[in-house]
Amino acid sequence: MRPGALSVPAVEIRGVEKRYGALLALRDLSFELDQASFTLAAGPNGAGKSTLLRILATLTRPTRGEVRLFGKNAFGREAAELRGRIGYLGAEPGLYGELTVLENLLFAAELRGVGRERIEWLLSELRIESVAEQRVRTLSLGYRKRAGLARALLGAPDLLLLDEPWTGLDAEAASGLTRFLSRRLEAGTTLVLASHAPRDPGDLFGGVLSLDAGRLQSLDASRATPAERP
Amino acid sequence: MSGARVAWAVLRKDLLLDLRSRDRAGHMGVFAFLVVALLSITLPESPEAAGAWVPALLWILLLLTSILGLARSFAAESEAGAVATLAGVACDRGWVFLGKAGANLIALLALQLWVAVLAAVFLDVRWEAAGWRAAAVGALGALGLASVGTLLAALSVSVRAREFLLPVLLFPLVLPVLVICARLTAESLGGDPTPGLWWGVLGLYDWVFVLIGYFVFDHVLED
Repeated sequence: MRPGALSVPAVEIRGVEKRYGALLALRDLSFELDQASFTLAAGPNGAGKSTLLRILATLTRPTRGEVRLFGKNAFGREAAELRGRIGYLGAEPGLYGELTVLENLLFAAELRGVGRERIEWLLSELRIESVAEQRVRTLSLGYRKRAGLARALLGAPDLLLLDEPWTGLDAEAASGLTRFLSRRLEAGTTLVLASHAPRDPGDLFGGVLSLDAGRLQSLDASRATPAERP
Repeated sequence: MSGARVAWAVLRKDLLLDLRSRDRAGHMGVFAFLVVALLSITLPESPEAAGAWVPALLWILLLLTSILGLARSFAAESEAGAVATLAGVACDRGWVFLGKAGANLIALLALQLWVAVLAAVFLDVRWEAAGWRAAAVGALGALGLASVGTLLAALSVSVRAREFLLPVLLFPLVLPVLVICARLTAESLGGDPTPGLWWGVLGLYDWVFVLIGYFVFDHVLED
């Protein structure tokens, strides 16, 4: 984590609205998330979880409202610098099927200005060394997901955004992912996950942000405080 | 984070994907071959009459063929959700545009080379008479097509009917390039002097659209 006060929230959302034509995907959303916290964005399909994550990843501009990440305007002049602090894994792994896992990670590393040693560490940490030389299109969904996670983690992000990360993983891989995310949290990363069926409730999540039809139903603020550091 | 490094990485990645899949080059090459073969059968036999038509027809062919390639230039990103990967760069997203446009430029230059060979073989076009001017027109025309085409391909990437949208948007925008390039090619092939004004307009057009692409790409890569 960058030096600086933990008192600055990792995420500040004020009156955010997102409209796709006639569809209002998010309505008047306002909340804050502390640094080094682990938040689950929960809700049924179409609740606006993915849209919220895309906005936090600066991939989707809100129609209205203000988004600040680590105290900076997410869509202002410092957006490029902020993007370097964000890791995002959407529903798709964001990898090129005709390239191998290693080629994909080398490409993503060049976009992030990251060295090869970080790739090797991630391949080992996520247990995908054995498929590093395989083309992504030949991999199972579970391996693709882990390779996509490696891509999202390349820049050692301070804010990690994962959309339905457990989908397609078997039980062993899912618990491996949960353990991995716990370690990221201990390392000071702010985690925001969107899932309608989390594999690991209660213990892991610091806060639960409940959405329905684009509206914030509740934010369990008592649990959204920074996680205990070791 | 160095923007030039990002542009270079995107360009290399696109060329590597092209080499791996060969979809783009294959479709463009075959289409160009078929059209030139048809032209060789249907054009008047008199060299004067053919000479009057060939430059314009070749540029129309290049435009139509480039549509096939440009429409696929963001296919890999849209199929794998990798637009987010490109949009997540820790520098100005305009550098991604420069990388994508650079890869498209190289593909279009390769296409022009192929069409030039086909035209020489099937239509008896004497490129040696045109000299460096034909090569310069080709390069400037390809840059114009690549810059506008990359921008529009990115704009239409999330649209369901992008195969239809791209030509509808591209044709009117590249009309000046097409007209000027056809005229300069005809004058070059005929050994006539080519007015500096047209070279200037062509260069300015390219420069303006490269700049527009660079500056608006930040918004284009967002939803």
